[in-house]
Amino acid sequence: MMDAVHKYGPVAARWILGGFFIYASIDKIAHPELFARAIANYQMVPFGLENTMAVFLPWLELFAGICLIAGVLVDGANILAAAMLIMFIAAISQAMGRGIDISCGCFKVTETGRSLGYTTLIQDFILMGFSFWVMNRQYRTMEFYPKPV
Amino acid sequence: MFPIPPPLFQSTIIIAVTLVIGLLSNTLRSDSIPWLAKELILAEEISADTESASEPVLQGISLQQAKKLFDDNVLFVDARGLEYWSEGHISGSWVSGNFMELTFKIDEAQGRSKPIVIYCSDDDCGSSEDLAYDLQYSGFTNLYVFKGGWLEWSEAGYPIEAHK
Repeated sequence: MMDAVHKYGPVAARWILGGFFIYASIDKIAHPELFARAIANYQMVPFGLENTMAVFLPWLELFAGICLIAGVLVDGANILAAAMLIMFIAAISQAMGRGIDISCGCFKVTETGRSLGYTTLIQDFILMGFSFWVMNRQYRTMEFYPKPV
Repeated sequence: MFPIPPPLFQSTIIIAVTLVIGLLSNTLRSDSIPWLAKELILAEEISADTESASEPVLQGISLQQAKKLFDDNVLFVDARGLEYWSEGHISGSWVSGNFMELTFKIDEAQGRSKPIVIYCSDDDCGSSEDLAYDLQYSGFTNLYVFKGGWLEWSEAGYPIEAHK
């Protein structure tokens, strides 16, 4: 039983993590101008660079997500996913700490309804947990490149 | 067999693909955005009678320009939440609230081409610009963002009101 958990648990974690990243990227890729404004609202990025970030970050989320699900370059994709989650947690925490009332811009940039809050933070910490699990996996189940030797 | 690339090298590969695709996508798509954001252009001359403007207007305005438009009975919209609006707002300004309801209300009151001034707390908040872009996207063509917002206006002693 435990062996199955060690074998397939990280695969499930990879898929959930990858699924979240792919889902989060779609709306941002479709609406870079809205995502740029969402980034600017966090007041963390030097003025002007929010556009550059809005162009590249969603594609990074998408490719990291695809790699995690497809079992390709898993270690690299997982490092990127963890780095992005740390960045999101830092951005959300500082915005909440400064009392900036903005919409999250986490999944749907076309919706203004979802405000920043502890739910978003908890969700990111849970995803960090999945990422940590993948990082420390014992088996490389359903991974296709690089092949385990 | 190929050797297993170390994790950081794998990350570099993904980042490289991202850079290429991001670059291509923003270059080729019709709704591409500038690589660096531009600040909202500040209006030079404004008038409440700008319905005849040949191009859609979305500009920032100063306190004096906001006051001039206020005196010309231009519609002011408060982009802050209802709670803040109730505590105090520029006299006669509408609270943004539900976006669809707001657009419907403005459309009914004055159509889509008459000027609207949008403001939020102060020049640190982004909700006035957000709302202005959303309104522009919905077809409103004459939009002014008063960046100094509620703070600058109330400090200047200009007309305010509250709905407690």
